[in-house]
Amino acid sequence: MSTTELQTGAADQGAGPEKPPTPHGGGGFAVWAERLALPVAWLVLVVIYGALRPDTFLTWQNVSNIIASQVVLLVLAFAALMPSFVGDFDLSLGGILGLTAMVAGVLNIQQEMNIWLACAIGVGAAVVAGALNGLFVVYFDTDPLIITLGMGTVFTGAIFYLSGSNTIVGIDRALSEATFSTKFLGLPLQFYYALVILLIVWYVSSFTPLGLRALFVGQSRDVAKLSGIRVTRLRWGGFILGGFIAGIAGVLLLGTTGSADPTASGGFLLPAYAAVFLGATSIKPGRFNAIGTAIAVFFLATGVNGLQLLGAQNYVQQLFYGAALVIAVVLSRQLRRRA
Amino acid sequence: MSDTSSPGGAAVPPGEPPPRTAPPALELRSITQHFGSFRALRDVDFRVEAGEVVGLLGENGCGKSTLVKVLAGVNTPDAGGELTIDGRPVPLPLSAGQFRDLGLSFVHQDLGLARTLTVTENLMVGEAGAAASRKPINWRSQRRRTRALLQSYNVDVDPDLPINQLPPVGQALVAIVRAAEELKAYRARGDVGHSILFLDEPTVFLPEDQVEFLFELIRTVVAGGASVVFISHDLAAVRAICDRVVVLRDGQVAGEARIGEVDDRQLVEMIVGPVGGKLVGQAQRRAPGDDLGDAPPRCTVQGLRGGRATGISFAVRPTEIVGLAGLLGSGAEDVPYLLFGARKATAGRMTLDDREIVLPVLDPTTAVRQQVAMVPADRRRDGIAPSLSVGENATILVNDEYTQAGRLQGGRLRELVRRQLERFDVRPRNGNALMGTLSGGNAQKVVMAKWLEINPRLLLLHEPTQGVDVAARAEIYRLIREASTGGMATVWVSSDFEELATVCDRVLVVADGEVRAELTGDEVTDEAISSAVYHHTTDAAAVLADEVPTAS
Repeated sequence: MSTTELQTGAADQGAGPEKPPTPHGGGGFAVWAERLALPVAWLVLVVIYGALRPDTFLTWQNVSNIIASQVVLLVLAFAALMPSFVGDFDLSLGGILGLTAMVAGVLNIQQEMNIWLACAIGVGAAVVAGALNGLFVVYFDTDPLIITLGMGTVFTGAIFYLSGSNTIVGIDRALSEATFSTKFLGLPLQFYYALVILLIVWYVSSFTPLGLRALFVGQSRDVAKLSGIRVTRLRWGGFILGGFIAGIAGVLLLGTTGSADPTASGGFLLPAYAAVFLGATSIKPGRFNAIGTAIAVFFLATGVNGLQLLGAQNYVQQLFYGAALVIAVVLSRQLRRRA
Repeated sequence: MSDTSSPGGAAVPPGEPPPRTAPPALELRSITQHFGSFRALRDVDFRVEAGEVVGLLGENGCGKSTLVKVLAGVNTPDAGGELTIDGRPVPLPLSAGQFRDLGLSFVHQDLGLARTLTVTENLMVGEAGAAASRKPINWRSQRRRTRALLQSYNVDVDPDLPINQLPPVGQALVAIVRAAEELKAYRARGDVGHSILFLDEPTVFLPEDQVEFLFELIRTVVAGGASVVFISHDLAAVRAICDRVVVLRDGQVAGEARIGEVDDRQLVEMIVGPVGGKLVGQAQRRAPGDDLGDAPPRCTVQGLRGGRATGISFAVRPTEIVGLAGLLGSGAEDVPYLLFGARKATAGRMTLDDREIVLPVLDPTTAVRQQVAMVPADRRRDGIAPSLSVGENATILVNDEYTQAGRLQGGRLRELVRRQLERFDVRPRNGNALMGTLSGGNAQKVVMAKWLEINPRLLLLHEPTQGVDVAARAEIYRLIREASTGGMATVWVSSDFEELATVCDRVLVVADGEVRAELTGDEVTDEAISSAVYHHTTDAAAVLADEVPTAS
């Protein structure tokens, strides 16, 4: 049920000693086609929508709108990557995002606290939430799927408790200026924050021993343990870092909307995981990776945006995201089976 | 006909039918199987006579399992192959489950048991009628029947335990009993002329004393009118039970012989080919003149308790390879995991050079830091990360030494992997290949490469050549002996006493959780180890009964 089983399960089947070598090993067209399938699919979407709606779709305003509107989701997808790297799941990240925004919002408005301090406390709450997940899942050795599902509901309950079920409005404009309303090269500052996170995650996961160790933990936990890798520590790290980054996403959401809406965070988790799994079919197929995830976020956003410009109703978003998650998981399963 | 070398004068050229009147129970002709561009089988002919035990031999990756999977309906062979059962042609490919109608039964390498279900539940699955039956299940009588059934096979496992709480050997026995019962059911059904049992590497999980049990079972099956196909690396077992052997090499039939007409050397030559054969059988004992003398021990273990070990003490000197021999349940198999901190010891101390280690608080991370290496027996679960690359697997322990300002140095790492693959003769020489695609022998060489890279002071091995083909096995012996000359102390736990006799300087016999005897110098022979082990094991037969789950 957890990512680990999802992966090792498939891998075990493929590990029979007489399994023939896969025909594609090194470079070759097939490998590159697989790696680049998602970016190419994205381009195809752009070309089709561009041909159908050149006046609206292919405008800078629409492009910057797509990019700007996805930053919170993009950052939350990076948060979801953290536990995914080490083979865990965190379904409470949406709740953590909302909790951070609400804590910061309530402190700023009801306690009249300085916005930066309020945000710092909000992110602190996110880290504590992540650590709680670590405690229950790693220390008490339970199924991450169920525990974080439960914790997510707890966090949602806390959001409603803190807000009294009301939207907190009138957040200090300084936050909005630092994140959303100030533009650089036509894009809000927070897009560049997300880029920085992308670069860090990409670099650490691909080019450092820490990233490789996390990969081992995620793909073969027993092997990692017997190789002297501190599995427990890395899994704690996955939950805590995931909480931390989800907290940042919460602050960005607060800055973007200028208010803390107790229901706002509900829709983020599923597209974030859709992007994470879709991203794992690309760039480094079969592995969760930051660049694939980022591309997937914008692929999904482009798909929805184009459909809406073509006149589709709002529900198309749910159809598209949901279907993308299912297809991504089926695809990555197929990739692993072949590998 | 894909004839190849026919080594050994006694070998019958493949394809030449022995005198017979009845049609063979099963005959495959010209089976070719491609996976993508990789050709796993090429023009293979394979025949099983009624009431015959056929050994199917060959190195890992030679196509044995692929051939079996054609009959199990898992693989779809290329067009052109033929299958006849009792002289009746059966169109290929077979559909999944069709083997039941043809009277075939399989014990695959992975045993195919539902791991979280109990023994009783697993044995019910194979029962004819159980699936179609609409009657409610009477669990009490089911359990009783299972108990009686297991007793009739002399298998002593608790029917109520889930499979994953049985030791590997118990699991294997349950799988074999289930297959034997399946054969019985075929015969009872009466619509198959001959039933055939396929055993894929059945001795891998079985310690020496249980192998005899397996033979007994095979004899029973054959006496009941069935045939058996026995796939194994274990030449002694093949010799003991088979009437005829068919050897596959690189997906082709490399030779075929009646068992009485070839000796081991000829068999090995058939399996590995004329070149590889030279390496095999060469003892990797200490070179003459290279005396350990009075060298102080590099590693001492005192009062080790944990698992089934109830107080094990020994010392290993630098460059020495010490074997631990014991039957299953003796405690020997717990020692590597306890000394590595992979399982918690309840008591005991280890000194490594001048460093004292309190075993109950040892964890694998500390062990690795102290340059202790451990190669676990369950390679697929504990040894390799199949979805990662060969290079990543081989360098995981040392990659932080190949960094500059925290960044991995791809070039130096690739160079390291290239050297490792070269030194350990891993095929293919491709660090980017996925680990899961390697054959057992090559995968194990990568595991060795990975561990020897940390320059271990103490190397712990548990069944390091399980499921490894003959040539790779010899190679592994050589590599470990070579590595030990640098001063490494090695503890080698194996239920293959011939292996211990081949490589060890000294063998300790473990029984009832303690070291009971020590064999040194010329005493280190296959026979001496076996007899010492059986002599010291008080109740070898009852071992299975009080088997407790040990896997964490």
